[in-house]
Amino acid sequence: MPLSSLARTARAGNVDDVSHLGLALKVTGLVECEGEVHVRGIVRGRINAARVVVSAGAFVEGDIVAREVRVAGRFDGRIFALNVIVDEGAAVTGRIFHNQISVERGARIDGRTPWRPPNYFESLDQLPETMP
Amino acid sequence: MTMFSRSDKPAEPAASPQPPRPQAAAQPLAPAPAPARPQASSSPVAGVSVISKALKITGQLESTEDIRIDGEVDGDVRGLSVTIGQGAKVKGTVYGDAVEVAGAIDGRIEAKKVVLTATAHMEGDVVHQDIRIESGAYIDGHCKPEYGKTVAKPANKPAENVKAS
Repeated sequence: MPLSSLARTARAGNVDDVSHLGLALKVTGLVECEGEVHVRGIVRGRINAARVVVSAGAFVEGDIVAREVRVAGRFDGRIFALNVIVDEGAAVTGRIFHNQISVERGARIDGRTPWRPPNYFESLDQLPETMP
Repeated sequence: MTMFSRSDKPAEPAASPQPPRPQAAAQPLAPAPAPARPQASSSPVAGVSVISKALKITGQLESTEDIRIDGEVDGDVRGLSVTIGQGAKVKGTVYGDAVEVAGAIDGRIEAKKVVLTATAHMEGDVVHQDIRIESGAYIDGHCKPEYGKTVAKPANKPAENVKAS
């Protein structure tokens, strides 16, 4: 799903359904959501959502495409989001494509954090084939 | 938020031996960091996974605990207790100790205890030890009782994987 359509659903009114991928859950593949996803377990693959929270203790490997991403756990891959918050205790490897980012003290980032203008995310129909 | 928590830390040790009430009244900033923490870790119960209506998963889902699906899953689901809510769609095999279906499954169920409620729509075989089918449920497939072979194996396998990785 292109981010532009995600943007529409997010603006059209927040879906108050929050999906929880629990501690003991392991997902392999594509996770698509119009609302919010809280990851506490393991996800390998891709997450498309309006808002993604990677909780402490969680592990995500792959790509996250969202409007807002909050990471407190481990992440390995690429993040494409307008707003990114990297919390204390987080460990991020890879790239964080962002428009606004906030990194808390105590977070670990290994990789690059390229800035992009907002329209880059709105027109993000296909992810670039970049490899770190 | 960062600024708040930083300015609070040096202030707190001095104030903490005092009775807590005046401290809370004097420091309006103190409660601010508190809601920020649960926000990242707020969840009804840590182990339960909820796949909400707006969510679609393409791929595999494995859990050693309960899973509730209200959205769409295209792939296999393994859990201890799996609940397929009304309006949910699953395309693939559902493994579990207890599986309750109120939504639609196109695939297969392998579980000890299977409940098909009135709104269930099941296309495919059901391998079970114990089954309950409510009036109104739709099934297109075989119901096979099976003892010993499929039991407990699916639920236990993911546990080792999760711990190892």
